[in-house]
Amino acid sequence: MPIATRVWEWEISSKTSVWNHSLQELWSYRHLLVGLVRRNFILNYQQTVLGPIWILFQPILTLITFVVVFHKIADISTGALPPVLFYASGIVLWNFLSDSFIGTASTFKENVQVFSKVYFPRIIMPISVIGTQLLRFGMQFFMLLAIIIYYSITTDLQLQTGLWFLAFPMAILLTAAISLGMGLLFSILTAKYRDMSNLVTLGTRLLMFVTPVIYPLSAVPENTRWVVELNPITPVFELFRLSILGEGTITVVHFFYSLGFIVVLLTGSMLLFNKQGDKLIDVV
Amino acid sequence: MSETIIEIENLYKMYRLGVIGTGSFKQDLQRWWTANVLRKEDPFFQITQGNKQDTSPETIVALQNINLKVKHGETIGIIGKNGSGKSTLLKIISRIVRPTHGTVRGKGKISSLLEVGTGFHQELTGRENIYISGYILGMSKHDIQRKFDEIIAFSGVEQFIDTPVKRYSSGMYVRLAFAVAAHLEPDILIVDEVLAVGDADFQKKCLGKMREVSQAESRTILFVSHSMQAIKNLCDKAVWLHQGQMQAFGPSAAIVNKYLTSTQDAHLLQVWHTQDEAPGNDLVRIRSVELEPQLASPDAPLDIRTPLTVRVQFWNMQEETVLNIGLHLFTASGECVFDLPSPAVTCAKGLVEGECTIPGNFLNDGSYYVSIIIVRDTSISLYYHEECLRFELEDYRENIQWYGKWWGAVRPQFPIQLKQAMLSIPQDSI
Repeated sequence: MPIATRVWEWEISSKTSVWNHSLQELWSYRHLLVGLVRRNFILNYQQTVLGPIWILFQPILTLITFVVVFHKIADISTGALPPVLFYASGIVLWNFLSDSFIGTASTFKENVQVFSKVYFPRIIMPISVIGTQLLRFGMQFFMLLAIIIYYSITTDLQLQTGLWFLAFPMAILLTAAISLGMGLLFSILTAKYRDMSNLVTLGTRLLMFVTPVIYPLSAVPENTRWVVELNPITPVFELFRLSILGEGTITVVHFFYSLGFIVVLLTGSMLLFNKQGDKLIDVV
Repeated sequence: MSETIIEIENLYKMYRLGVIGTGSFKQDLQRWWTANVLRKEDPFFQITQGNKQDTSPETIVALQNINLKVKHGETIGIIGKNGSGKSTLLKIISRIVRPTHGTVRGKGKISSLLEVGTGFHQELTGRENIYISGYILGMSKHDIQRKFDEIIAFSGVEQFIDTPVKRYSSGMYVRLAFAVAAHLEPDILIVDEVLAVGDADFQKKCLGKMREVSQAESRTILFVSHSMQAIKNLCDKAVWLHQGQMQAFGPSAAIVNKYLTSTQDAHLLQVWHTQDEAPGNDLVRIRSVELEPQLASPDAPLDIRTPLTVRVQFWNMQEETVLNIGLHLFTASGECVFDLPSPAVTCAKGLVEGECTIPGNFLNDGSYYVSIIIVRDTSISLYYHEECLRFELEDYRENIQWYGKWWGAVRPQFPIQLKQAMLSIPQDSI
């Protein structure tokens, strides 16, 4: 054997492994990730009059609608909390979840052009979508805090958050994890079977009704509560409200059910995404 | 002896035809069931007698049994017709698609330029696009910052660097995109047909850059192009793919010649054995028309250096007539290059033969066709045999480092000179 035979640095074969990126490789693409987040953010508001103000405008309009429809007309209970605060917190987190999910679910469909011309770890794309949405969520979250502060100054509202307040990053992280997990899974399905993309938008809309966005879990009648409790997203929303507004129903069992579901979903879909990612270019 | 940097072994790629729909979902399930549950061979891909034979008629084989070793620092050209698998091969090496069977192993960082402007977004400014596109192609932030000024200078769009690229002219867009690509510094560079875009001036710039890059010692390049001239000049070796198989691999000049000889679409001979089937009329009928290239060697391609002999035979069915023929040569676009009449000759009933030789180094490269006219008494057209011969001449250039399309229908070698007429006198000595 000649000494010159260095070990091969890479190998391409028909086998696709579930974990084919080293963390080192992903790290070397960090600038791409930042660049993509920046690009997505800029693109959303290119050539609009209001620009990034839309990020705040959209939840405010939704909030007004919700207050009128669900509070004034339908008169759905929001528990001990004032309706505005209750809906605002739900809308902000739900927007983050649904926009992230819908955004990542179309990863392959949207990026065929780039994916079919150059290689980079595909997972960078969906992560960049989550990053962009996280940025938007951050701005909406500050608006939410401003509304809460306004309420606690002008009204005699007493928020009992206490130490629970420290749990809000957890709720945000879990929301990001759910949407990434579902998004990765559906990005593969929508790439292969186009009908799935209809399911994504319709499903997201319907999913909102079994998640405590417009009603608290405590207001759901006992006999149908299991439906909402079965939804692993429910504890995350309850935890979010508990941490910033001091009102929420969450049990240890329920929380770990949700956490377990999210961990399995995210790992599973990441592995699937890695394994299927390279093959999909042939079929998209 | 330099080391092997890419090794391709026994590579196959198959594509399933048809639309991905419900049928395919069913097929997917079936496939998954047989492969993972029943643990049988994949029903759509079976091995018979050591060869991969596809059993389903709905699949096509894009690449078949490719074996190739690329050494460090080599520039390899890949040639072949459309659909011969060139791009698929590049895509597999670039990690974009997976092979169906076989492996590619290698060392070092790969960058692939399969199109100009990968990752560019219309809404972003030139500056933003340089960064995004650079990142996507695998450059680091540091690399881009270091070369930023160079990239802008190369592209020549300094003034518009903060304007969204959708307002660029297509030429500016392509120049900027290529400028980014040209400043990549991978160990292995994969380039597909970059020369197909842009104007002649830009193509020249691209090829100049390619040459510069290929001469840098540490760079290994795989290059797909339809420009045989570029392949011959830039590449050390060439691979000829034909219907997914490797037809030949070797020094680029030899492979290019082989390839050209095989692809020339020529219509060089027409013969009719009986007068009944021969074209013509009651006065004259064509027996044969033939174009015989005077090739230096049997496997040489028909290029602009080749002298061409045109022969025509026809039956004359009239007594004692004064006949002459005219040879009309047209370019592919239908413009007449020349109309060459033969001297008029008195002919009796029987077979008449004409011959004409078009010298080498006269016509330019391109496609041509020949029509022949038979005339009586140098005035009356008896029969016009249109487009009876068709041939294609390949380009040939010596000591010329320019690869654009040569102008003109003819490229004669008239004497032309350039010399120093007078030395310039330094100003202060006057």
